[in-house]
Amino acid sequence: MRKVLEVILLLLLLVFTHAKGTRYSPPGKPALTRCRSPEKETFTCWWEPGSDGGLPTTYALYYRKESSDTVNECPDYRTAGENSCFFNKNDTSIWVNYNITVVATNALGRTFSDPVDIDVVYIVKPNPPEQVAVTVMEDKGWPFIRVSWEPPHKADTRSGWITLMYEIRVKLEEENDWETHLAGQQKMFNIFSLRSGGTYLVQVRCKPDHGFWSEWSSSSYVKVPDYFHREKSVWILITVFCAFIFLIVTWLLHMNSRSLKHFILPPVPGPKIKGFDKQLLKNGKSEEVFSALVVSDFPPKSSNYEDLLVEYLEVYIPEEQELMLEKSMDLDVSCLKSEGSTSDSDSGRGSCDSHTLLMHKCDGVKEGRERQAEEARRHQKDWKEEASTYSNVDSSPDMSSGRVKTWPSVFSPLPRYSSNQQGSLETAKQHYLSDSLFRPSSTSSCHTQPGHGATEALGPSYWECGLSNKQPHLLHPQGQAQRQLQAHSDDNISSIGRKPTPAGLPSPALRSTEYVEVQRVNEEDMVLLQPVSGRCGDVEGYPQVPHGEDYSKVKGVDGDNMLLLQREVREETGNCDTPSTVATTQKPTTCIHSAMPVQGEAVLGVNGYVDTATVFTLPTY
Amino acid sequence: MNPITLFNATIFSFITFLCCSLGLLSLLVSVVWVVLVYLLFCSRLLSVGAAPICTNAQAGCHALSLANLFDRVIQHSARMHGISNDLHSEFYFLPSKNQIGRVSRNCHTSNIFTPNGKENAQRMAREELTEVILKLLVAWRDPLWHFQQSIAHHHDFNNFSTNKALEMSDMVHELRKGVEKVAEKMQMMGIISNSVSSLASPEVLMPSDSAEWRLMKDYDLLYCFRRDSNKVQNYLKILKCRIVPEHGC
Repeated sequence: MRKVLEVILLLLLLVFTHAKGTRYSPPGKPALTRCRSPEKETFTCWWEPGSDGGLPTTYALYYRKESSDTVNECPDYRTAGENSCFFNKNDTSIWVNYNITVVATNALGRTFSDPVDIDVVYIVKPNPPEQVAVTVMEDKGWPFIRVSWEPPHKADTRSGWITLMYEIRVKLEEENDWETHLAGQQKMFNIFSLRSGGTYLVQVRCKPDHGFWSEWSSSSYVKVPDYFHREKSVWILITVFCAFIFLIVTWLLHMNSRSLKHFILPPVPGPKIKGFDKQLLKNGKSEEVFSALVVSDFPPKSSNYEDLLVEYLEVYIPEEQELMLEKSMDLDVSCLKSEGSTSDSDSGRGSCDSHTLLMHKCDGVKEGRERQAEEARRHQKDWKEEASTYSNVDSSPDMSSGRVKTWPSVFSPLPRYSSNQQGSLETAKQHYLSDSLFRPSSTSSCHTQPGHGATEALGPSYWECGLSNKQPHLLHPQGQAQRQLQAHSDDNISSIGRKPTPAGLPSPALRSTEYVEVQRVNEEDMVLLQPVSGRCGDVEGYPQVPHGEDYSKVKGVDGDNMLLLQREVREETGNCDTPSTVATTQKPTTCIHSAMPVQGEAVLGVNGYVDTATVFTLPTY
Repeated sequence: MNPITLFNATIFSFITFLCCSLGLLSLLVSVVWVVLVYLLFCSRLLSVGAAPICTNAQAGCHALSLANLFDRVIQHSARMHGISNDLHSEFYFLPSKNQIGRVSRNCHTSNIFTPNGKENAQRMAREELTEVILKLLVAWRDPLWHFQQSIAHHHDFNNFSTNKALEMSDMVHELRKGVEKVAEKMQMMGIISNSVSSLASPEVLMPSDSAEWRLMKDYDLLYCFRRDSNKVQNYLKILKCRIVPEHGC
């Protein structure tokens, strides 16, 4: 009865169990997941339990060593945690094969796991390296990271029991890729090629020669300081690059040397003859060359040769007048000189006091000088105007002034004189015509040139021959005592100034000239000449004595190099050859102009008296 | 920077300049020249004497220190173990072999007392340890040779494996010689006593186990040798770190 009750209870229990839906079963099969040894002295095995079957299940690990048949149970289930078995040193044998089995047991049964054979040597997985130290160091200006560590304290590498190999990995903080380096068995490693100013993460792990890699150590942070790239090879590269650039530039310059040379130093243009072909020279035919040289318009034949030459008319005053002129000029000069200097020339003073052309005192000279110049200019202008009417020539004062040497200065006091004498404008126009008495041939042939149009040498003192040409009627009545306009070429200048020596000199062949004072120019544009006093009727006589008293003829030069002046008296006023002058009004005063000559009076020549013309005639001076 | 790097930089810049300015022909010439210079450089740096090694500093041979000898031997044993490991892995994946029932038998060298732990190995005297190493190496000379002979005819193994087996057997032989030299040097230096006597004949050491290894299968043989080579390597390391600890211990 009681047995039946137990059976019924058990059946009810079973039914109830079924009704509830739970099923009790023997435990599931456990599985050994792994066994690891950290230092090759101990090891731990972990298993994975299977289903417990709804009932409390116990697990047991059994192992059997190689070479023994005894089955031992795990000595330590707790050290390594849940579902683990820890074998300590005493229970661990190296190079011994372990056959391990895990058994799960519950109320309904027990289940064995698959056996696993392990050898501790091959299941070594060390701990990560410890004491990882990361420092930034410098190598000749270049920073690098030095990583140093220690093996895990459990692993005995000092006795050689375990040999560990290490591995390092580095990465920048903001990146994702690691850079791994195998470090071998050393406990220190250097990392180069760092980014300036970056933060790096460093990790180390180790592995025995036959085993598993450890876990990575914890990250070590290191910041690289900013550094400047200073390396010698950079300078070398820069130098090589610069040398390369320099070579390129040199090569370019060499290629363009010619154009550069033309740019910097432009070639000097050689002489080029217009219309001349250099090829002719190269060909070597001289005839062609010379014919090429002969250009049609060379030499220029625009005008006659004579046109090129300046024709000027030399105006002379009679000797006395000339001398007086010179004297006056000298007086001018000497007067000026005396003002500022201590020159004392008696003749100068004498000239001042005497009745000379310069009636006024020396101090008056200066005052009147401007006036003289003004009058001279005026006279010149008028004279030029009138002269231009005679000859249709454009007066070119330049040329005339070029021809005129000192005559203008000589000429300047003349108006003064005339104005003193006559005080009229007309008489102020005193022009001295050359006396061509000595050159009768020349009078007729004074460079008469038909068609002589251009006459430019109308200086104040010169008349052109053309004038005489055009106005033959003007001059013709002069007759022998004619004051004829004489044209002189340049080579006759010397003859102009040749003054005849005193009376003993007289050769008619001498081309001495006299000065004839032009009294005025009348309204009919005729030149009125002053009769030459003292020489009436004497056509080719000696040089006329100048009109005025202030002119003195040079009689001669004595041995002491003194000019002997001659003063003659012209009393024959009436005998003045009036016909010799061209419609000149005879004025007794002019005739009487001749001062009382003093024969043989010797007047010392003044230095400044003699003008350039007389210099020629008095070479001894 | 060291002169070599500076020299390299100069060479590089020179080459760059040349090839830019003168074209490829000059580049070729410069490259050839650089290669020649490098050869000259490197050959000078890496030239080492090729005299034979001997323990005694005799005429004509190059005497090595004990540390160097140990390092060479340890490297040798490490290489040997690597090869055995490779061969064992190849054998392990062969489908034809029965992988489950392994090592039910003991290796033929199991009767050689080898320390199974660090303390045991450190407790052992140097002479004993040296002897153990030598015994192991001696014990494996013939089996390996036979193994190498047998797998040559196996179509399961490729040529690469047979070469490894051959190398392995040679290495055992060489390693044994090396260890003997080390022992000799140690005896000379007085580190160990002269108890490690001549081990010329393996039959002296293991007279009874001469035929046991013939019963082993190939896989078991590989398995056993793999373990024994590891032992050798480890023992050598222990010896080295005990005797000459200043280098890499």
